[in-house]
Amino acid sequence: MDRLDALRADKVSKSFEGLQVFSDVSFALKSGERWALIGPNGAGKSTLLNILSGVLAATSGQIWIGAEDVTRLPMHRRLHLGLSRSYQLNTLFPRLTVMENILLALNGHSSLKNQLFHRIKTTDRKFQRMQEMLHSVGLWVKRNSYVSALSYGEQRQMEIAMSLASEPKILLLDEPNAGLSESESTNMVEMIRNVTEGSTLLFSAHDMDVVFSLADRIMVLAFGKIVAQGTCSEIQCNSLVREIYLGSE
Amino acid sequence: MSKMEEPPLSLATVTGPGKLAGLIPYIITGLLLLFLPPFLPDYYQSLLVKVLIFSIFAMSLDLIMGYAGLPSLGHAAFFGFAGYIGGILMLKYDINSFWVVMPASLLGTVALAGLFGIIALRVRGIYFLLVTFALGQLLFYIAWYWRSMTGGDDGLVGRLTPQLGIPGITWDPTIFYYFVLLFFVLSFLAMRWLTQLPFGTALKGIEQRELRMESLGYDTWTIKYLIYIIGALFAGLAGLLFVYFNGFIVPRNLGLAFSGQVMFMVILGGAATLYGPVIGCAIILILEYIASLYFPERWPLLFGSAFILTAMFVRGGVAFYLDRFWNR
Repeated sequence: MDRLDALRADKVSKSFEGLQVFSDVSFALKSGERWALIGPNGAGKSTLLNILSGVLAATSGQIWIGAEDVTRLPMHRRLHLGLSRSYQLNTLFPRLTVMENILLALNGHSSLKNQLFHRIKTTDRKFQRMQEMLHSVGLWVKRNSYVSALSYGEQRQMEIAMSLASEPKILLLDEPNAGLSESESTNMVEMIRNVTEGSTLLFSAHDMDVVFSLADRIMVLAFGKIVAQGTCSEIQCNSLVREIYLGSE
Repeated sequence: MSKMEEPPLSLATVTGPGKLAGLIPYIITGLLLLFLPPFLPDYYQSLLVKVLIFSIFAMSLDLIMGYAGLPSLGHAAFFGFAGYIGGILMLKYDINSFWVVMPASLLGTVALAGLFGIIALRVRGIYFLLVTFALGQLLFYIAWYWRSMTGGDDGLVGRLTPQLGIPGITWDPTIFYYFVLLFFVLSFLAMRWLTQLPFGTALKGIEQRELRMESLGYDTWTIKYLIYIIGALFAGLAGLLFVYFNGFIVPRNLGLAFSGQVMFMVILGGAATLYGPVIGCAIILILEYIASLYFPERWPLLFGSAFILTAMFVRGGVAFYLDRFWNR
């Protein structure tokens, strides 16, 4: 029996004041799959992730999380349905501490009443989870530092950690290794692989090493449409993809 | 201490500095406010009352502007609206019971904020500033032209005291001072409690990165709407106390200049601190008093200069420098 689609896009199109970014993009991510979204610069990868997460509205088409049509749902409602994301540029809260950033992220999954009025105790599950998360990214010792004082690599780790705080069923990562050194990037891939075990993952990336080490399947966005999707080996063998993206030999 | 007895931690306080040391300035200020005024001449006592009332007003704007990042140029609308409701009830309808006037004023203000919030929070940033400015001016002109109800540009004037229904109270400046002080302390504690809750951290998150807050699962519009109404409620309380204090309310108390003045108090004192706006109020009102003694016609010039100097040299507000000094 087929597993239920965790995230599905049906003929999604986006244009900005007449400029068509992509059209009729359709795909379905099964629960637990890890997908990479690749394509040349300007292909619309970030735009597609923005539409899936609700930052931008699709010009046409539909988006589904499980059996729920979320096309018109705001971002915060999508998170409560299990979809979380990180951004290509760090979007941390620079004038809050590391711990406050993570606690904010952990609290986001609660009801509005709890988000605003429930004081977190050190015995709460959330507090313990915050400790675990900060230990896992090696930032527990810096928990009282302002985020703005962290290195770029640490901030990238925080960015990913915050998107994982709600224990999402579906995780969208926009260029998770952007701006990282080779060793930092390797660590980041390792961390993502460990912490997203069992989750549905869709990430965009330019670095093919990252793509092949993290993804089960790949979709290629180019010329305003999905030109190919399949397993890593299928994509590697796809002549069109080799020509437009990987480069022909 | 067993694990279960560990104190609750809010998002805001979980990383905070030593609490006892942080309380010392509050304790000193509290003692001064409690014991000093009876020994002050009437005029200084009256100045202190004005500082306390404007402090409630400024702190209420701090919730909206400092914490949530909503720069409202129409906040005086709530101050003046509550003042007008109180003034109309007492002077036009002879309803003087404080227990009727206060709830009516505050509920009216909350209803107005509920309506204005729906309109103003459709936009962000500079557009929010403009919409709140327009809404404030709308009320200003209603008050200006609806002479039969509001007294027009003459406003509503009368000798007003809060009728508490408690036998034996004879209102004098000292009693009234303590009456206002009570509301100031309650307002400060309520707003501080609110900002120490995760609510306060959520507001700071919205102020810094609203989009990220949305993607973390926060309904930012509703949170902004809530704080806008709560801010209006406290501004309304200040407006009502102001009517009792001043004995009159005029359209100016609803308008742009008044909103601008309280905004400057918040900026000068230090936004998102609550105590900063209190300091800002004290500085401005004391400067205004000094100017009224020596060169009253030059006050607008002095006020404008203070605005420019603050923008150039006191970014972050006085509270920022006090904090740095205290934490050294």
